[in-house]
Amino acid sequence: MQPFVAKINRFTLALGVAMAFAAPAIAEDGEYGVLMKTLANPFWGAMSQGVEDGAKEAGVKYFLQAAESDQAAEPQLNLCNTMLERKPVAMITAAINSTNLLPCLKAAQDAGIKVVDLDGNLDQAVLDKEGIKITFRIGSDNVAAGAQGADYLVEKLGKDAKGPVLVIEGLSGNVTGQRRAQGFAARLKEQAPGLEVVASLPGDWDRGKAASITNDILTRNPDLVGIFAANDGMALGAVEAVYAAGKGDQVTIIGVDGNSDAVKSIKDGRLNASVAQLPYLVGKQAVENVKKAIAGESVTADIAVPTLVLTKDVLDAGKEPMLQYVK
Amino acid sequence: MTHETAQPGLWARAQRTSVEQLHIRLESFIVLIVLSAVMAVLSPFFLSLSNFLNILLATSTIGVLAIAATYVIGSGGLDLSLGSVMGLSGVAGAYVAVNLGAPSPVGLATCILAGAAAGYVNGQLITRAFVPAFIVTLGMLGLARGLALVISDGRVIYGLPAVMVYVGQGRPLGIPMPVIIFVVTAIVAHCVLAYSKFGRHTMALGDSESAARAAGIRVERHRRILYTLSGALAGLAGMLFMARINSGDPTAGLNYELTAITAAIIGGTNLFGGRGSILGTMIGALIMGVLQNGLNLLAVQSYYQQMAIGAVLILAVFIDQYQVRRESRV
Repeated sequence: MQPFVAKINRFTLALGVAMAFAAPAIAEDGEYGVLMKTLANPFWGAMSQGVEDGAKEAGVKYFLQAAESDQAAEPQLNLCNTMLERKPVAMITAAINSTNLLPCLKAAQDAGIKVVDLDGNLDQAVLDKEGIKITFRIGSDNVAAGAQGADYLVEKLGKDAKGPVLVIEGLSGNVTGQRRAQGFAARLKEQAPGLEVVASLPGDWDRGKAASITNDILTRNPDLVGIFAANDGMALGAVEAVYAAGKGDQVTIIGVDGNSDAVKSIKDGRLNASVAQLPYLVGKQAVENVKKAIAGESVTADIAVPTLVLTKDVLDAGKEPMLQYVK
Repeated sequence: MTHETAQPGLWARAQRTSVEQLHIRLESFIVLIVLSAVMAVLSPFFLSLSNFLNILLATSTIGVLAIAATYVIGSGGLDLSLGSVMGLSGVAGAYVAVNLGAPSPVGLATCILAGAAAGYVNGQLITRAFVPAFIVTLGMLGLARGLALVISDGRVIYGLPAVMVYVGQGRPLGIPMPVIIFVVTAIVAHCVLAYSKFGRHTMALGDSESAARAAGIRVERHRRILYTLSGALAGLAGMLFMARINSGDPTAGLNYELTAITAAIIGGTNLFGGRGSILGTMIGALIMGVLQNGLNLLAVQSYYQQMAIGAVLILAVFIDQYQVRRESRV
């Protein structure tokens, strides 16, 4: 046993030395805690870059942490509780779902820490029931993003255009996809009544499923003039199906997100447009507004970060100032 | 329970086993202490009562699952459905309380019963249909998770009655309820495994099934009880998390079975059965809890945490084997 314990101690010593290389965290006054869903996704990566740049410009200290995946609800709650130990002045949180962080947000509120809903994952009705008051909510307005897609379609085809339109929704029961699809359909009805949504089907965020739906609807409505998909992956699936059917010139296809695949497809002249979200700007403005709130200035309770319609013209011209925020 | 016709040889071995179980694996305890000391030096936030309770609270669900893993693995079995059953039971309890309007005690009982039911099905299939435990519980992993998503329609079921929420968020004497329930469960589970006939038989099963059978232990029946117990404990873990976040989340406990098995193995449970102690498992769970909490306090990315825990697991078993080999050389 004796030599063995010596061995153990040597190991733990090594561990200790290794850990000592991790710079000790010293309590900073006025730190912001930023809690993300995960960093294993370019959307959140762009958002954390925005947080970093925003904090640098505002001259505030922050520490940013994320759960290991966007499904790790309990680990994110435990992480949130641990972050409170550092006594930040504000917690900017992107909750994995509408309830998993509630105990932590309550504890933060009781400790006088300002709570911010990043990307609008919290449910106001639930917050009211729990008695949690958030300082503000910030994110992309998904209804507006859908409406922008409709505006683009009307602008391209004209107010008096007639013809069938397909809407490919997200995952059934997912609020984000619902809002985008509803925003699109409502604005289209108002702007160009002649363009009729003949089908609105869930594509489950799946490229292949979106392609199948497109094929089915093209069989039923060969004169289809437009497709709106609630995200870029599904829009790109629709693009492949439409081009395979030889109707690339006839159908205008619009996605949402502005991800790199979509940008490439738009530049290649296949996908017509994508309503880009600007997660970088969401992160940056979150930090700026927290600083304002802490300084006692009034901050809008619901901050909608604009979305931007990317088309071949916009990308080729490169004049749009917001383009710098497209990831 | 069993016939009193145990062979003296097995009896002696069972007694010896129980003595071994009392012996805390000193090295894992040393690792826990040193790790805590390192964290305390590195982070000014580590050594505080509220952070200690944080660690216990964060460990509570995994800890309860790890107890189940210790019993099942100790008996020479395996339960890969722990995490999914935890998710299913939380959703079942929330559904009964919120959608059907049942009173709190019924909702809480539903969690444990739903877990026990899944475990019972596992046990029946393993012992009566002769499908290997690995396959049955792997199948249940998919079945239970799918059922949780079906019941909840893939969304969280929010808004439990007050008594249920108290089980997750109440703090009598400042100690979170899940921590109290977890610690009490661990103490009971330890006593049962270390001092009762049921516990001795469990380990005897993992040591040598044929010897256990010869000694008159009703092997199949015992296994069925163990898998049901394992499911019930997963149900308890599901109940704790559900009550903590005031909602049934169908994705709760994702991949937790592996973390629970890791805790048990770090704590000295033999993967092939025959050896294991709840005290050791709790130390294993706490090593992971302290590691995670400390690295969180130091704002180290969660990617590194996963690496650290993986390394600790391999190291713990290596030390174990090293010792066994050294002893056998003597």
